Amino acid sequence: MEKITTSSEVPKRGLNETFNKHYKLILIIPIILLLSSIAYISYFYSQNNDFIHRDLSLTGGTTITVFSNVSLAELENALSDKIPNMEVRYLSDSSGNQNQIVIMTSQKPEEVIPTLENYFGFTLTEDNSSVEFTGSSLSESFYKQLGITVLIAFFWMAAVVFVIFAKKWRLKFLAIAINLLFGIFLGKMFFSFEIVISLIILLVFIAAIVFLYIKYSMPSFAVMFCAFADIIMTLAVVDLIGMKIAGAGIVAFLMLIGYSVDTDILLTTRILTRKENSINKEIFGAFKTGMTMTLTAISALAVALIFVRPFGTVLNQMFDIILIGLFFDIINTWLTNTVLLKWFIESKEKHNEEVRL
Amino acid sequence: MKITLRMWILIILLVVSILSIFSFSTMFSGQGVVVKFVEKNSSIFENNLRQGMIITSINGNVTNTLAEYNSALSIFNDNSSHRLDIRTSTTQIVGIFEPNFRNQVLVSERSIINIKTGLDIQGGSRALIAAKDHKLTDSELNDLIALSQQRFNVFGLTDLSIRKASDMSGNNYMMIEIAGSSPKDLENLILQQGKFEGKLGNTTVFVGGVDIAHVERTGQSAGIIGCSAVSTGESCQFTFPISLTEEAAKRHADITSQIPLSTENPEYLSEKLDLYVDGVLMDSLFVSKDLKGKVTTQISIQGAGTGATRQDAITDAQANMKNLQTILITGSLPYKLEIVKLDTISPLLGKTFVKAIMIAGFFAIIAVSLIILARYRKIKISLALLVTSFSELILILGFAALIRWNLDLPSIAGIIATIGTGVDSQIVILDESRFKIASLKERIKKALFIIFTSFATAFVSLVPLTGALSIFGIGAAGAGLLKGFAVTTLIGISAGVFITRPAFADMIKQFSEE
Repeated sequence: MEKITTSSEVPKRGLNETFNKHYKLILIIPIILLLSSIAYISYFYSQNNDFIHRDLSLTGGTTITVFSNVSLAELENALSDKIPNMEVRYLSDSSGNQNQIVIMTSQKPEEVIPTLENYFGFTLTEDNSSVEFTGSSLSESFYKQLGITVLIAFFWMAAVVFVIFAKKWRLKFLAIAINLLFGIFLGKMFFSFEIVISLIILLVFIAAIVFLYIKYSMPSFAVMFCAFADIIMTLAVVDLIGMKIAGAGIVAFLMLIGYSVDTDILLTTRILTRKENSINKEIFGAFKTGMTMTLTAISALAVALIFVRPFGTVLNQMFDIILIGLFFDIINTWLTNTVLLKWFIESKEKHNEEVRL
Repeated sequence: MKITLRMWILIILLVVSILSIFSFSTMFSGQGVVVKFVEKNSSIFENNLRQGMIITSINGNVTNTLAEYNSALSIFNDNSSHRLDIRTSTTQIVGIFEPNFRNQVLVSERSIINIKTGLDIQGGSRALIAAKDHKLTDSELNDLIALSQQRFNVFGLTDLSIRKASDMSGNNYMMIEIAGSSPKDLENLILQQGKFEGKLGNTTVFVGGVDIAHVERTGQSAGIIGCSAVSTGESCQFTFPISLTEEAAKRHADITSQIPLSTENPEYLSEKLDLYVDGVLMDSLFVSKDLKGKVTTQISIQGAGTGATRQDAITDAQANMKNLQTILITGSLPYKLEIVKLDTISPLLGKTFVKAIMIAGFFAIIAVSLIILARYRKIKISLALLVTSFSELILILGFAALIRWNLDLPSIAGIIATIGTGVDSQIVILDESRFKIASLKERIKKALFIIFTSFATAFVSLVPLTGALSIFGIGAAGAGLLKGFAVTTLIGISAGVFITRPAFADMIKQFSEE
């Protein structure tokens, strides 16, 4: 039989004691990160009146990709006064040579294409170009729907965690019912009410859900809180680096929820179903497993991105967002969630002892 | 190693997937190129070449690839007509054809892989259509789709998909997707309301659709009748006869009987027959005095096309004629349409992109296996993990092939996400199986519990995106533009949780017991 000890090795005793004494202080790091992220996003919102920089698929407009190697500066000089709100960038092939030009504008294709054909000196066909156009009313509703979908996904994810980890069936049904109502409210009513009324109802729902989780299943709340922190911190970085988000980019946030919750569930299950091992031992074991999970995900995405990036597709953005998110997930799972769980378990044990005395 | 029930299930499903991914009939008998499009007004169409047929040789030259097909047709390079002996898998067509045969027939290579890629990869057009200043009801949308389908059919395009789409605010859309290259006037064909009116003065004599009994589309009396030089280049006239219904013909008689003859030109009536398409005057025809008050069902429709060269003018005239015939047959819509989203993606990107995705996937797998090998230092375990991840990929592709799902970019992202969570789950199983404390069975059970919990959270967070809950107003996001992502990921994680990961757990159980 092989020697199976890897996962149950214990960190040095001295470290263990220091950790047990001061672990709550660790929370300072994620709290500072979270608060500064929220502050930055609020600032960003006040400047841009939106939570993200949207790309043309979410604001409405035309993106034209032409196979050409003309210089960007020249193109901009020649066309910037003819095409309003024009932005250009280039894409290169796998050997690094510029071979495509991307022209973005808020105009409609039929307004831009003649100007471009005039400039390039050839007719734009399917063989030498791609055209993507989204009307502004569609993109507006697309954006709203995606936002709502991510919101629902987030709360339903948390509800599943609560249903699995909470103790009483009555509470589980209550959580399901509240979340279903919440989903229907977001889907059917959110945008048809006065925005102030909608926001108040939204806050009431969130307050009820958070109260339920904190009171009856603190570990579920911890998972939800970490996923929330992942999203907020990632959003702050995405805004900071000026990334323009497409619809698929918003979906990347949804994927992020999935990846982020994986390690949290692992940690929670390990600690809650622990038998004779100490909490620290379980944390360390879960950490090894979880870090392997996150590192494989990060390396696979990073490697794939190297090959996919030159094509300038929407996959780039999705991978970028998930990579940023996975980085924050390491912090939020192993600092935030771990400390919250340990705190919760210890106070519960203390409480149980006091009750016994 | 003992093969458990769970492993058998995995093996059987893998075989089924491989069978559906690869088209074995093409692989073994698989000769020829498949016909994607045949223009209706062409002599090759009259010779009964149809979409879906497989051309195996032309004039004795085997046409297994596009290159071979094109070189067989290079005899037309001299711009004159040639005799072609076309063999398809079922019939033989022999005839003399004009050089524009090459535009009238579009073919594509047959693939041994049954997986279709989405428009954003293989190239093509996608349009999302809404009614202008009008909310389409469900039944209006059904009518619109039926009418559009008919228009495309009449036009000669059948290899396309038209479906309903809606968003959370209850707006209905018609989504049209055409893979590969599409005719130039597509936008026009979709958007036009198609209101055709023949008016004498201010009185409508007949309208397209209901009043038209028959439209002559080919044959001697339909076609280009002549070209002439104009200031901008060339202009060509076309004509084709239509038959009015009995009722419309009587109306025509009643109206013409009240119109006096022209004073300057007594051979004709004083009012001309004006033809309007969507309210725009297209042509004015003199009405011969012989027709005054007569019940006549035959009317000759005329129009023109222009271009820089004569050839361009002919092509334009032919296109206009076809368009006009189409709306005369199919009639009009009671509202105006607008395109709210239109993407035409060049197929050029697709070929190299698919290659890049394969390379990216390959190296991503290598990276993951290196980390696994470094962590566990066991070749056997790393291999088992690779095999499992790979089977997840095959199951997803197999299912996609089976339900003819088009893999677009979001779907590919979904597959990557699935493989990622798959690897995560296997690491959980591996690590749980290495604890000494509880029994192995209990530990694997715990691992599967963790995996199932993760699955359940991912599942509920993806369902809104599929549009399955749209009756509750929940997330029919962007009229289903990201459905591909949600569906592939759901298929993938479900296959993972119920099929591959349990089999993997059995494998690891046996490794640990050894």
